[in-house]
Amino acid sequence: MEQGIFNSTYQSLIESFEKDHLPERSFEDETLLAKRAAAFQVFSRKGFPSIKDEEWRFTNLNRILKQDFSLRPPSISFAKAEESIAGLDACRLVLINGVLAIEQSDVLPEGLIFLDTQAALANPSYSQLLGSIAVDDNNAMLAFNTAFFKNFYVLHVKAKKLIEKPIHLIHKFSEAGSPSIIPYRLLVIAEELSESTLIETFHSDGQASVLASYVSEVQVAQSAVLHTHLINAAAEDLNLIHHREVEQFKTSVYNNSNLALGNAAFIRNNFNCRLKGSVTETNLLGSYITNGTQHVDNHTVVDHQMPNSNSMELYKGIMMDRSHGVFNGKIFVRLDAQKTNAFQQNNNILLSDQATINSKPQLEIFADDVKCSHGSTVGQIDEQALFYLKTRGISEERARKMLIEAFVLDVHSRIPIKALQEYVLQLLQAKLDTDSLVTA
Amino acid sequence: MLKIKNLQAKVDDKEILKGIDLEIKAGEIHAIMGPNGSGKSTLASVLAGNPGFEITGGEALFEGKDLLDLAPEERAREGLFLAFQYPVEIPGVSNMTFLKTALEEIRTHKGLPPLSAKEFMQLLKQKQELVELKTSLVNRSVNEGFSGGEKKRNEILQLAMLEPKLAILDETDSGLDIDALRVVAAGVNKLRSEQNAFLVITHYQRLLDYIVPDVVHILFEGRIVKSGSKDLALQLEEKGYDWLREEVVGG
Repeated sequence: MEQGIFNSTYQSLIESFEKDHLPERSFEDETLLAKRAAAFQVFSRKGFPSIKDEEWRFTNLNRILKQDFSLRPPSISFAKAEESIAGLDACRLVLINGVLAIEQSDVLPEGLIFLDTQAALANPSYSQLLGSIAVDDNNAMLAFNTAFFKNFYVLHVKAKKLIEKPIHLIHKFSEAGSPSIIPYRLLVIAEELSESTLIETFHSDGQASVLASYVSEVQVAQSAVLHTHLINAAAEDLNLIHHREVEQFKTSVYNNSNLALGNAAFIRNNFNCRLKGSVTETNLLGSYITNGTQHVDNHTVVDHQMPNSNSMELYKGIMMDRSHGVFNGKIFVRLDAQKTNAFQQNNNILLSDQATINSKPQLEIFADDVKCSHGSTVGQIDEQALFYLKTRGISEERARKMLIEAFVLDVHSRIPIKALQEYVLQLLQAKLDTDSLVTA
Repeated sequence: MLKIKNLQAKVDDKEILKGIDLEIKAGEIHAIMGPNGSGKSTLASVLAGNPGFEITGGEALFEGKDLLDLAPEERAREGLFLAFQYPVEIPGVSNMTFLKTALEEIRTHKGLPPLSAKEFMQLLKQKQELVELKTSLVNRSVNEGFSGGEKKRNEILQLAMLEPKLAILDETDSGLDIDALRVVAAGVNKLRSEQNAFLVITHYQRLLDYIVPDVVHILFEGRIVKSGSKDLALQLEEKGYDWLREEVVGG
């Protein structure tokens, strides 16, 4: 027996797979159903990962699985996603509890298609790619998603298309009755020589009580450029387990920012970039500002497989109250990946004695002509700087806010879209307002 | 304006100020001189409210208010200013936000409305000319990447912007070449008035050629051992601090 979590949520999921789930999916082709069956085997054998699993050492799923989450057919929700980003000119696509709300979504620009579940699964080339970028042989949470996902979306950017208008995918979670587990997934294909931007924001209405399992597989073809942003602004009713697997081919560029600025009770991001071509460029930014009893875990993998690629990773976190942050950054430099340039930095500030950060950089280097650096710091607010600001008449609270904003500025200032930068600043300021920084 | 009586302070169980008495009136410039380790910078830090020091006795009244009872930001709003010996670099906090916020807090305390963006820029331009700080402050972080001289001028610029009643200059002359020193001194001289006062802390007499004090105090081993006119500074420059040691210890 594996050392997983086999609790009542697990039991009910196992029971519902054949009884309720498979009959619903009878329209799917055999290849996909076979993938689901294989994935189901992995999940049923391993259970939910427990802290005995090295990859989950600092993140205890038992904490959120205390309540029973159940898998129910997605109900058509009438919730409205009011969330928009002021000044951002983007095409909105709205997912409510994982279901596309077509009436709230915009028409897409030419050169790009977005398909919902039925259309995406009707095309064998998409259903074949599903699960082939993020391979779930040994990953219980990924396998869970593959076995159980209800909705599958495809965002496909055609070759040589320059899509200047960002796509804004809004993930909204709203009241769903009893605690629900919502598995869904996305496939992004950026074809050769295309350039596009995908912004994803996460929101909830405060009564959702949701465990979302979201898997996104991203393929960045030769010489394509893809910018993505993940901004979590949800309320504390959201628990999110997100797995993103990116594969990058020759001379492609992939940039992402992954910001947890809301109040979601629990976030686990697995963010893996497989650099399968040479001369690729990868920039990963991250920030997490947590308070209360929030738990935010960022696991990243940057896997250099071919020569002459650059990767840069900068994650910064601020933990208040009794919140808990985790950063685990793995860099692989494979034997063939000579002349790799890999940089990783994780800096943290703890604002309370009860806050925790587990920061773990891991480098595995098999090539001999590479430049790699990594650094991890944990500290407090700079008392000297604080005193300096105060001697100019600035209140303690305001001074602390200024220093916190300054700390994450080198992450947030690299976001290339001005409206998004301002939105991020607003979220940050709202977040800092909820907490009494002085007593922290 | 400032009345200090028998002020005592320590840091890490080490007694540094052993009973300071000092009175400064509006319109006056006082200088405090003394050898290294005599407690000059400690006095400045204690008056500004640095939490690293523990007050063990005595009192300090600023405009009749108990200064030691106020938080650093409250002291600043009441009109106390410290020009730091080592101005702190604060990456990520823009000079403009910093100055604007500080000015706003102090104006609010005085019951004045905040300045418009235009008024603020005009004031800043005017004050930058005063301290001959030609570098643009826009898009730069507080003191980050500033030369030593620029940092000191930036301190005087803040002084000019915030218009305190009492300004303490903590070894503002250290690390300045003579041109920068003249500029800083000229700035201070333009800012002095009948309503404000300055406490100039320095190791060397040189600065006092340019900022002429009304009273010079000599701080030695945590006490003011001698006070006199500006001639005392010259005397000190000539004889050095050893003379003092003999006189104090011997006497």
